[in-house]
Amino acid sequence: MTRWQEPAPGEPDAGDRTWHVVRRAYEQRLPAPRERSWRPFVAIAAGAAIVAAALSPPGLAVWGSLRDAVRGAPNAKPALFSLPTPRSRLLVNSAEGAWVVQSDGSKRLLDGYRNASWSPHGLYLTAVHGDELRALEPNGNVHWSIGRAGLASPRWSSQGHGDERVAYLAGSTLRVVGGDGRGDRALARHVSHVVPAWRPQTHVLAYLNGAGRLIVRNADSGAVQWTAALAQRPGALEWSGDGRYLLARGPSSLTVFGSTGTPRLSPISPGAAPIVDAAFQPLNDALAFVQHAGSRSIVWFYPRLTPDGTAARRVIAVAGVFDRVAWSPDARWLLLSWRSADEWLFIRSASVRKVVPVAGIADAFGPAAVPTGWCCP
Amino acid sequence: MAGSARDERALVRGAQRGSVSDLEALFRHHWPRAYRAAYLVVHDSAAAEDIAQEAFLAAVRALDRFDRRRPFGPWLHRIVVNRAIDWSRARTLRREAGEAGLELAAAAAPPDNPHARTLAAALAELSPEHRAVIVLRHLLEYTPGEIAELTGLPRGTVNSRLRRGLDHLASRLGEDVR
Repeated sequence: MTRWQEPAPGEPDAGDRTWHVVRRAYEQRLPAPRERSWRPFVAIAAGAAIVAAALSPPGLAVWGSLRDAVRGAPNAKPALFSLPTPRSRLLVNSAEGAWVVQSDGSKRLLDGYRNASWSPHGLYLTAVHGDELRALEPNGNVHWSIGRAGLASPRWSSQGHGDERVAYLAGSTLRVVGGDGRGDRALARHVSHVVPAWRPQTHVLAYLNGAGRLIVRNADSGAVQWTAALAQRPGALEWSGDGRYLLARGPSSLTVFGSTGTPRLSPISPGAAPIVDAAFQPLNDALAFVQHAGSRSIVWFYPRLTPDGTAARRVIAVAGVFDRVAWSPDARWLLLSWRSADEWLFIRSASVRKVVPVAGIADAFGPAAVPTGWCCP
Repeated sequence: MAGSARDERALVRGAQRGSVSDLEALFRHHWPRAYRAAYLVVHDSAAAEDIAQEAFLAAVRALDRFDRRRPFGPWLHRIVVNRAIDWSRARTLRREAGEAGLELAAAAAPPDNPHARTLAAALAELSPEHRAVIVLRHLLEYTPGEIAELTGLPRGTVNSRLRRGLDHLASRLGEDVR
């Protein structure tokens, strides 16, 4: 038959338009880490020279456009003197215990506590102390406790009307207790050791069963609302602040489900560079996440969740390891834990209007300090 | 240019390592056939652009996992043709729901070349499934065995669709088509 040799209608213009879209998607993607070669060392050497200039006082002001550094900022604040968001409190888990940091920079160590997390309005904490699950005030006054073996991952629901629940793991059993310490009961046995996630404004809980299947269940009635299999076993689950989306973060994948279990999108699929942490912006479905590739960490921001994943914006890239990203309760600041530099970076908005580096984190909070909750909306 | 398999492998490797120019060379080489294949199945330039664009975006997303030993073209064409068939089926359903007028208004003008216009019109009379195998065979020049593999159809089904499609085109175009 006659071959079709000539351009189809609209072909050249469509090709130009599509190339721009494809190029943008390509530039926003992050290659998977490859075997070490000489190139990273050349890149680091070049980066060091850039950073020496960039982190001078005037250089810091343009960090938003440079967004590349090798070591911690030399002019970082030597300690955390204050939080950038007034009337907020930061919870830090470290090897020494749980720290509660007030917005004026004052802090209190809750000695020997681990796995601490906030109650919905920040009036209480729940944390593990030895073989006890405790609910306590930020000043350390204990309200109630439950003794069990293998305690981990307590999380307070945020139903919002005072009728709260606390979910926690005791060995491989997922248990739920009332916010007043009453009604402790097993919800599921043989679950995975992944922190359960409460859907905001509800008593609906997401967790992983022993086979790695995602389960979403009403903790009061026990009714399973939906389940889903995942390509990768997630290391973390998180609901968006408005409860519309559930994020499952795998080692190198992000999967977002609608509240009824419909898979919404997988902006990052298995095979991408490792994903270290991810966090929904409070009160909406914008998402920040950290990828680590080779010797670099990159923070990405999705202002909105789109199916093809091309809407991600790069916030900042550094040499070294970011191990945690957290939003301020007013959603204006991002806190990045820059473990390899022993610093935190407070970044004003995903557009990087301002960067406040704070050094000496291990000295201030002890080893393995991780910011785990910036309270409260 | 990605003229040979070796050239193409080199371009894929370059794109995987971050070379925009290698990615562009891959794109420019494969865009015409991807777009034409989509167009000849859906007969709608806007839809063809969407379909081909979606296939390239899928390629970018999967670039790091792509096995360079495999040829890039068939992988891309499989996405294009399957999505074009899905789109055509959906259009058929929408037509039944009375939305044909909107689609006709949205479609671009037919080709200028009279012969191409006749061929496009004759192809349009075939079902999307028949159009797809004709396009794969005679535009993208895959063998029937390769088409069977790309589409997941039995080889016999591919052959019968090719024969039926070509018979129809022969009757419309008045020439021997094989």
